[in-house]
Amino acid sequence: MTLPVSLSPLLAVNATLLADVGQVAAQPRWLMAIAVAAAAVSLWLLLPKGLENRRARPIGVVLGSIALACFALAGRRLGSLGEEAVFLLVAGVAVVSATATIVTRSPVYAAIWFAMTLAGVSGVLLVLDAQFLGVATIVVYAGAILVMFLFVLMLAQPSGLASYDRVSSEPMLAAIAGAVLVGLLTVSIGRLSAPAALEGDQSVAQTEAEEAAAAPTAVAAPDQLRDDHVARLGGELFGRHLVAVEAAGVLLFVALVGAIAVVTRGEAAALAEGRPTR
Amino acid sequence: MIPSLETIAALVKIGLLVGGLMTAAAYLVLVERWMAAWVQDRKGPNRVGIPLTKIRLFGLGQPLADGLKIILKEDFTPSHVDRVLYNAAPLVILAASLAIFAAIPFGSVLPPLGIDGLPDPVPFLVAPGFSVGILWVFALSSIAVYGVLLGGWASNNKYGFLGGLRSSAQLVAYEIPLGLGLLGVVLASGSLELDVVMTQQANTGVWYAFAQPLGFIVFLVAAFAEAARLPFDLPEAEQELVGGYHTEYSGIKLLLFLVAEFLHMVTAAFLIVILFLGGWHLWGVTGSGDDITWAMALIRFGVFSAKVLAVILFFMLVRWSWPRFRFDQLMNLAWKVMLPLGIANLVIVAVVEEFRPQLVEALGSSAAGWVAILLPWGVFFAGWITAGMLTPSGTDNRPIRPNVLSDDGVFAAEHALVAGNELFTDTSVADDSVSTEAATPASGSDA
Repeated sequence: MTLPVSLSPLLAVNATLLADVGQVAAQPRWLMAIAVAAAAVSLWLLLPKGLENRRARPIGVVLGSIALACFALAGRRLGSLGEEAVFLLVAGVAVVSATATIVTRSPVYAAIWFAMTLAGVSGVLLVLDAQFLGVATIVVYAGAILVMFLFVLMLAQPSGLASYDRVSSEPMLAAIAGAVLVGLLTVSIGRLSAPAALEGDQSVAQTEAEEAAAAPTAVAAPDQLRDDHVARLGGELFGRHLVAVEAAGVLLFVALVGAIAVVTRGEAAALAEGRPTR
Repeated sequence: MIPSLETIAALVKIGLLVGGLMTAAAYLVLVERWMAAWVQDRKGPNRVGIPLTKIRLFGLGQPLADGLKIILKEDFTPSHVDRVLYNAAPLVILAASLAIFAAIPFGSVLPPLGIDGLPDPVPFLVAPGFSVGILWVFALSSIAVYGVLLGGWASNNKYGFLGGLRSSAQLVAYEIPLGLGLLGVVLASGSLELDVVMTQQANTGVWYAFAQPLGFIVFLVAAFAEAARLPFDLPEAEQELVGGYHTEYSGIKLLLFLVAEFLHMVTAAFLIVILFLGGWHLWGVTGSGDDITWAMALIRFGVFSAKVLAVILFFMLVRWSWPRFRFDQLMNLAWKVMLPLGIANLVIVAVVEEFRPQLVEALGSSAAGWVAILLPWGVFFAGWITAGMLTPSGTDNRPIRPNVLSDDGVFAAEHALVAGNELFTDTSVADDSVSTEAATPASGSDA
């Protein structure tokens, strides 16, 4: 329970970094190490049950900013200055909101911050020309699922669940595990994206040089920039992955019917026992 | 860094659009009041003209006076609200309803200008070539729910909260028929770009309202509900909730909410015109190609605006013609009527589009076109009759369930009353369980 909760901001970091595959690992590795360490410590300080100290929060914020700056520096530069600025802005929004999601104690605020995270991730996808994914993120998650969450949270008591259900009880372990996961994932995927990585063990410097050389060609012809990108995406989904899509559809339909069956059976039973139903 | 010409063109379009929309919203309020007065057989606002003179101008100065009044009113924040969300809610809803227009075209194209760095011809659209325009509109209209929900919750007021809850349930429920209505058009036009949808209707000369009547009706009803206009204005419901989610707001924040609501209606009108009423196209007047003169560009813009205005007037007329739904009726309409009808529309559109080539081959293109129009109309009437037969012709405000807490005798007696009532045809599940119990009241207490 505790781990997934604290992982979410770090995964958002990951998502924003990985969204532009191959962005990382061009800079010295120690920058990434600092970023990961600072992120872990700052998360530990910020989490509700972390260091119970008056100064913990400001220090956590400062460390978090340092971690963000390191992540930004460790990434590879995008095309133009404007693009870079917009990317950093939306990525920053995503990561900061994700951190706020798990740091805040109020469930409603957590939901709102999560919505901000989704908006940020969607912005990242839009910057990277994955228009369909970007907009679909908003439609599906922010527009439908999260509104349902909010609906339930607002109907519940403002204080919501008990504290042990809401906050991580092992903030230090959670923060460290999350940071390590992010570090490993970014580094390994950064390697994967470099063509040289296929050859296996090579010196870091050589990999970097080759990456730098390969960078322009790697960015050259992404499918997303094509005019019929959405049509091609649809063709792919309903061509190669048709069975998966249909299976998911059937599964959701079964769940829907099951939910309705459970509700009506509960009502019928209540009626039979003479209990009030609604 | 000098911004490119395209950026400047986009900024000019944004300026024109936002300025035009705000002015239009102000004057549409006046039109709505005129319409209300006309329907109720009174005079309406007709006095405010040019300030400091006695010239009345049919009341055309009214928006200025209204605007000044609401802006200068005290912006009072009650002490019991959640301040952050209370302040953020109107901003969220207005920003979302303005950002929608990035993907909504407001005319055809300008004739070629021949300026380097500008793509020719210049479209009347802020973000041309945005390949998922329809989804963008859908996404942002679902973001607008947040403004309503947060406004209601942060107000810490029971009317506000009830309004917010009603609103979120209603908007989420009606997004599905809205999407189904949209999907028919997307399927037929093969594009998620709104300007392409318009161009296709202009090229074929068949507006989708004629080719997909069922989809049009479903979309129209869902658009009314999404815009929270009567008969779907349960989120506000002045008579029940004294304004619903914006009960606790005043001054400029209230103004933001009201403008955003108006923009929702305007957006709905734009979408109805673009998706189903042919956009800027009118037979024999506007032509259909992209190579046009300045006069033609103006005519197309005029036709488009006239259609949008006509739909808005329709919205306003409906407001004064229909009573508000009750909440269960609202949900029944969405889930039991609009959802099946929307799916029926989608199926018939898919069938027609799938077999269109064979039809053209067998019958020739014009006969095939007529078949492709008449088939959906057949489904439309069939759906209409089915829906009419399956839904109750009247409603009854007595409680659907008897008081199950009372003793068995009363229970059975109330039961007979309810079960014998012909009006309860739409609550088959509840009625079934109820009537079996009415027959054997003793078994109920045993179980």
